[in-house]
Amino acid sequence: MVFWFIAALLTLAASLAVLMPLAGRSKSDSSGDAHDLEVYRDQLAELDRDAARGLIQPADAEQARAEIARRIIRLGGEDKQRRGSGSSASVTRTLGVAAVLAVPLISWGLYGVLGSPDIPSQPLRERLAQSPADSSVDELIARAEAHLAANPQDGRGWEVLAPVYLRMGRYDQAVTAYRNAIRLQGSTAEREAGLGEAITDAGDGMVSAEAQQAFERALRLEKDQPKARFYLATALVQDGKIQEAASAWEAMLASLPADSAWRSPTQAALAETRKRMTGTPTAEVAPGPTKQDMDAAASMSPEDRKAMIETMVAKLDEKLRQNPHDVEGWQRLLRSFLVLGKNDEAHAALKRGIEALGATTEDGKKLADFAATLGLSATE
Amino acid sequence: MTRKQKRLSVIGVGAAFLIAATALTFYALGQKASYFFMPADLQTVTLQPGQRIRLGGLVEKGSIIRGQGTQVSFSVTDHEKSVKVTYTGILPDLFREDQGVITEGSFGADGVFVADSVLAKHDENYMPKEVADGLKAKGVWQEN
Amino acid sequence: MVEIGHFALVLAFALSLVQSVVPLFGARTGNERLMAVGGPVAVTGFALTALSFMALATSYLQSDFSVANVWENSHSLQPMLYKFTGTWGNHEGSMLLWVLILTFFGALVAAFGANLPATLRANVLAVQGWIGAAFFLFILTTSNPFTRLIPAPIEGRDLNPILQDIGLAIHPPLLYLGYVGFSVCFSFAVAALIDGKIDAAWARWVRPWTLAAWVFLTGGIAMGSYWAYYELGWGGFWFWDPVENASFMPWLAGTALLHSAIVMEKRSALKIWTLLLAILTFSLSLLGTFLVRSGVLTSVHAFATDPSRGIFILCILTLFIGGALALFALRAGSLTAGGIFQPISREGSLVLNNLFLTTAAATVLIGTLYPLLLEAMTGDKISVGAPFFNLTFGALMVPVLLLVPFGPLLAWKRGDIFAAAQRLMVAFGGALLAVLVTVLFIDKTAVFTALGIGMAVWLVLGALTDLALKSGIGNVPLKTAISRFVGLPGSVFGTAIAHFGLGLTLLGIVSAVSFESERILTMRPGDTTEVGGRVVRFDGLHPFQGPNFTEDRGRFVLVGPDGKDKLEVISSKRFFPARRMPTTEAGIKTLGFSQLYVSLGDEQADGTVVVRMWWKPLVTLIWFGGLVMMVGGTVSLTDRRLRVGAPARRAARPADKTRPVTS
Repeated sequence: MVFWFIAALLTLAASLAVLMPLAGRSKSDSSGDAHDLEVYRDQLAELDRDAARGLIQPADAEQARAEIARRIIRLGGEDKQRRGSGSSASVTRTLGVAAVLAVPLISWGLYGVLGSPDIPSQPLRERLAQSPADSSVDELIARAEAHLAANPQDGRGWEVLAPVYLRMGRYDQAVTAYRNAIRLQGSTAEREAGLGEAITDAGDGMVSAEAQQAFERALRLEKDQPKARFYLATALVQDGKIQEAASAWEAMLASLPADSAWRSPTQAALAETRKRMTGTPTAEVAPGPTKQDMDAAASMSPEDRKAMIETMVAKLDEKLRQNPHDVEGWQRLLRSFLVLGKNDEAHAALKRGIEALGATTEDGKKLADFAATLGLSATE
Repeated sequence: MTRKQKRLSVIGVGAAFLIAATALTFYALGQKASYFFMPADLQTVTLQPGQRIRLGGLVEKGSIIRGQGTQVSFSVTDHEKSVKVTYTGILPDLFREDQGVITEGSFGADGVFVADSVLAKHDENYMPKEVADGLKAKGVWQEN
Repeated sequence: MVEIGHFALVLAFALSLVQSVVPLFGARTGNERLMAVGGPVAVTGFALTALSFMALATSYLQSDFSVANVWENSHSLQPMLYKFTGTWGNHEGSMLLWVLILTFFGALVAAFGANLPATLRANVLAVQGWIGAAFFLFILTTSNPFTRLIPAPIEGRDLNPILQDIGLAIHPPLLYLGYVGFSVCFSFAVAALIDGKIDAAWARWVRPWTLAAWVFLTGGIAMGSYWAYYELGWGGFWFWDPVENASFMPWLAGTALLHSAIVMEKRSALKIWTLLLAILTFSLSLLGTFLVRSGVLTSVHAFATDPSRGIFILCILTLFIGGALALFALRAGSLTAGGIFQPISREGSLVLNNLFLTTAAATVLIGTLYPLLLEAMTGDKISVGAPFFNLTFGALMVPVLLLVPFGPLLAWKRGDIFAAAQRLMVAFGGALLAVLVTVLFIDKTAVFTALGIGMAVWLVLGALTDLALKSGIGNVPLKTAISRFVGLPGSVFGTAIAHFGLGLTLLGIVSAVSFESERILTMRPGDTTEVGGRVVRFDGLHPFQGPNFTEDRGRFVLVGPDGKDKLEVISSKRFFPARRMPTTEAGIKTLGFSQLYVSLGDEQADGTVVVRMWWKPLVTLIWFGGLVMMVGGTVSLTDRRLRVGAPARRAARPADKTRPVTS
């Protein structure tokens, strides 16, 4: 509203700038020589002013005056041809009206095509100051980053941010954040495993020696840390020790509690590995990242956490609407809805997913199987 | 001299000056301009020994060898041919493997290109235009 | 606020259309009211453009990433200064700055042109209106800085790190003030052609405007050169890069214009030539804008580019240059020519100056455009670089520099070259001495260097001789001489100061190019090396966290002859995570007029670091000379007599050879 008001005011001012001279009193047209004479008169007046103020030497002033006088005299000698001023008043009036009208018409017309009048300015500070529930994940992260830039010794802050970075695919920053968290808050199995995972993701999924060391540190602190065990087994696969990897996963499955989020990825990985042992090559299965997200959210305030998770889920949901051929995405979405306690939505998502993937395709079956492990069925 | 002669002589001097300037300019263009080549182009041209050229292409993966002290050698490739280049000095900030690069210098007796300047791209969006055009012509250009 | 700025820009475009049509029509038909529209419209147009620019700058300062342009070129963690300068650190914003300055000059003409003949004023404003309309349309259709981005990202992509420097705050505005300042001369010239007569006012306005634009352009080029020198880390001050040439060509033509405007103002001669030069100068400014903005040339410091923009600017270019030149061809014959003069006279020397400067501008133009033409015609790719320009441009500059001290000593209309030569004996002796000293004591083989230094000394002493002669030092009692010196007109001082500055720049160039010493080596902490007779120690790399970058700072210490630490030089490599881009920050320490320049390379596996070091004697004179030239131009601009264009008093006693014959 304010915008339209100001725009109207500006248009008015611009139109007036055109209108006022047109409406003004018409001066008589003078010949070219008269103009030149005017210039010289003006120069003489300026010269007198300067001389009076002492800005120019009297002798110089005299010289200049003589020069101007010479030029005034010379004026008479130059040709005085001048085009006639015989345009009709109606042409003038038409042009005047057209000019005055052109200003609002062109500006509003062009702005209507180019502008976005309904989008307000969005200064960053104001966006960050608005209530967290309305913020997107990006904004929450930016807020956390701003906080950490000011308080780089806040270990808890780094700890919150680290898994979020990981989830966003900003792996290098996740590594830094985990390192900072470990440096400031001390080493825990959880943090070391997170660090290992971040290093692994930063290296395109290869469990490097550095990552292995982190996982091993995690296991020393907590011998059943599932993430560390899982990735160490993955490392075995990457080293070609498939047999050993399979037994590591088997041992892991045996010791995992029945409700552990690591069950399904481990089962999937194990199945994958067995297939490979029998000679069928398949793609690697990425582990479910939901757990880390939850961990990240765990240390936030309840509202923040809820807002954050919900935005993440909404984002994932949106992504899947645009690109529905992503089994893993659907799996994550189902799990997320269940974690949030939104069973109905989980069902709906499952239906949509199977529709999108096709119930008879391999992916569709995979999703249905996965849903079954979570206690969901598509036909319900 | 009459007035007319004077005027003619002034015009004559002016014209002579302009002709001299033009001649100098085109002589300099012939002598001092350096041609741009991609490695594969070099098979089809004969260069005078010591002739300065600009050699452009991509920095071949794994070819960067830092020698004794400040000397660096690398290969410039257009995925068809590659040419070994040596350079002494500090490489540009954005000099990396598989990135576009233009080097200026001349071939030594051993067939190694001795560069005295190395230009890399300036920011993430920039690829030296000559290199981009050359790669496009060879069909190995990838829009990122 | 963003949308207000966008709307103001559109409105300014609408006004520029009115400005380009209505006053012109008024002038053709002799209608005072239609002509009077130009003034208020120009002023309002400027106010709206300023509002638009402020809106964009505010978006930058507030990190409003809902504006695509801000998101592409800013970062919330940048220091405030760079957020602000980022407004014009990109194509769209810099074009907005361009039209802001254009409308500013238009408003100045409207505000201070009250005493101009109404038709001339109307025509001038209309021509300004055309230029404005063309560029507003260009901005709105191909480079709109107010395009929105929804949903707004939370963080920007950062300004190109090379541009995150105080240089960006100064260089483009100065350069544009220069480029666009010449638009006023252009508009006056075209208006005079439309009118079919050269008004007294044309003569009166062209020189101050040319001077002002020239001062800004000189500053812009000098600043740009220094910026490239310290920011790119290559230690060079001029690369003959197309973008640099783009600003250098209008400078050469503008310098010629400046000198021919003197003749026109004082002697009413060379009117038509001055008019043509005014057109050519601004045409070269437009060409410069085209070359930089269109991306037909790749350059060490071009912004990212887009072909549709190139075609648009090419159209603007063709329209304005072609139109103006066609108009010139059509009308020049009907203009009255001015006074006549002997070849050896002040006018003659200024004509010679013009001949050389325009030819030099032409060679630069050929060197810049020839590769484009050749590629278009034969497909061969060549690069025309420093060797070409040094040969051609250098060859043209040598005679002109030799002649500079003569010019101010010659009389108008008919001069005496032998008398002038006699008076320059001292300067000549000084120059000869400089050559001999250089050859005998510094470097026996460096003949060209010695000649270059001799020429610089010749220019410097020639400028001083001019002042000394005109105040009569040595011929009249000291007291009289001092009072005469103080009473010398501003234009005399301006000329001498500017020529003095030219000498300093030349001295800086010759010295920096010939006497610099360079070391490229690997160093580990604690190592020392020697460069140009100075001992430098490397103290190691230390990490540092900047606001939006991380940095490895190399600490170097200049060790005095007594073995004590004298000065610390910090040279660093920065990394900007937002663009994943490293930059080199050269470490520079100024000692007197000379500089120690340290550039840092990569850290090697064995812990050593590649270091490139220069000792550059008198290098700062290059830019200091430019500054002195700017001062000269400004002093000349303040000369009240210039407003009248009266020649100063004739010598009272022409027979007395020891006195100058002219002003």
